[in-house]
Amino acid sequence: MKKLIAILMIAFAGLATMQAQGGMDKFQVQVDGLGCPFCAYGLEKKFKEFKGIKDVAIDIETGDFTFSYPAEKALSLEAVEKQVEKAGYTPIAGGVTRSDGTIEALHGKKNQVATKSAKTVSGKTMVSGNCSMCQARIEKAAMDQVGVLDASWDKNTKILELQYDETMTSVEAVEEAIARVGHDTEHHKAHKEAYENLPGCCQYERIESKKPQR
Amino acid sequence: MIQRTIYLVAFTLLFAACKEEEKVTSWTYSETISLKAINPIGLTSTEQGIWLSDGDRNRLVLVDGDGKVVQAFDSLDRPMHIASKDNSIYVPTYGNDKILKIDGDRVQEIVIPDSLDAPAGVDIRGNEMAIADFYNHRVLYSTDGKDFLSVGKQGKKDGEFYYPTDVQITDDAIWVADAYNNRVQIFDKSGKFVKIIGAEARMNAATGIYVTEKELMVTDFESERVLVFDHDGNMKQELRKGVTKPTDVLIYKGDLYIANYRNGSMVIYKRN
Repeated sequence: MKKLIAILMIAFAGLATMQAQGGMDKFQVQVDGLGCPFCAYGLEKKFKEFKGIKDVAIDIETGDFTFSYPAEKALSLEAVEKQVEKAGYTPIAGGVTRSDGTIEALHGKKNQVATKSAKTVSGKTMVSGNCSMCQARIEKAAMDQVGVLDASWDKNTKILELQYDETMTSVEAVEEAIARVGHDTEHHKAHKEAYENLPGCCQYERIESKKPQR
Repeated sequence: MIQRTIYLVAFTLLFAACKEEEKVTSWTYSETISLKAINPIGLTSTEQGIWLSDGDRNRLVLVDGDGKVVQAFDSLDRPMHIASKDNSIYVPTYGNDKILKIDGDRVQEIVIPDSLDAPAGVDIRGNEMAIADFYNHRVLYSTDGKDFLSVGKQGKKDGEFYYPTDVQITDDAIWVADAYNNRVQIFDKSGKFVKIIGAEARMNAATGIYVTEKELMVTDFESERVLVFDHDGNMKQELRKGVTKPTDVLIYKGDLYIANYRNGSMVIYKRN
């Protein structure tokens, strides 16, 4: 009889744990500016202020930051974004899967205006950069341009492939936007200050542009 | 006459090239010691041997010559650049803003009157103590462990810091790894800025330093190298072999030890 009670108690405890785990929101944020353990531990430290945070994982190579948080506290993505900035870094992309299965994206979908049509064309250009964090920053800068439907940068070839509505934007406009966040492109060189503000791992070897800057 | 001038120029260029190749190198790669399940941040030594702070696993470990853990202190909240004196180890715990003194089995918290925000490095020399206070972008310095002088503020100008990560006290100066300004800064003991070293070396995150009587060693974390300077700021040598995401350097029994964070190893260089 005692055995039966013990088994039932263990089963009940396990069920309660499962339910508790099911009540967690799962956050995933790509963070710009992480490059070393000091940065990763710093981000973790600032998020300790969110009591109840669990399963914190930070990949300093990719900038991926994930954690779980009790659903009943309804932590907003805006609060997460602010806390990442307080730690000294920039949230690029990400979102949360709520415990009820609802998915929310960080920043929302910024480029709702453009939809695939007969005006959609493809383009490509060279963009300087090094790593996955560069990729996230470059693609975000491109996607933030009204009219861009898709942007994909390859860190090995350094080629950025675009799909965009030619009545709304151009490769040149996208290049300008990317240069503003610190990355040299085929025709636009980033300002020194923007380049120097990039995290250490993203500070690519700069070369003089062969083509005149527009 | 023109032909002689061409020969002269060519000879001068050749001589200059040869001189470049003859650059003095005083450290030679010896070996890499693999550290199982340790991602080291800081290095120090006591009579027992070499201690490493293992930030990822919240512990301090003493390793033998093969890199095996022979003693460990657990439950330290992100220990960073450590120091030692009289066989006691001083540990800045980045995660909970404390400076701990570990003496045998006794762990004691050192009371700092000013609040820290992520202490990343500590150094002890006699009664002097210096702390690299990462998120406050400053260095705290004390001659008695009670009253602290705050040196620097956030910025990129001379005397300002952008996330300092390591510090060392010498006879007449305080040396600071000004990590994300990619340089080392030197102050006198009144907190007055003296000079910068390494600004021209294109470092990407100058995370750890070790200063000897004549040399300064700096870990260049992102560029995966250790740079050796003289005290005038002249770069004497660049150490790359075996170096992957280095976080700290130490001279131990005359050899140069480098802590590699990424692949969990220590590299030893010997002086020629």
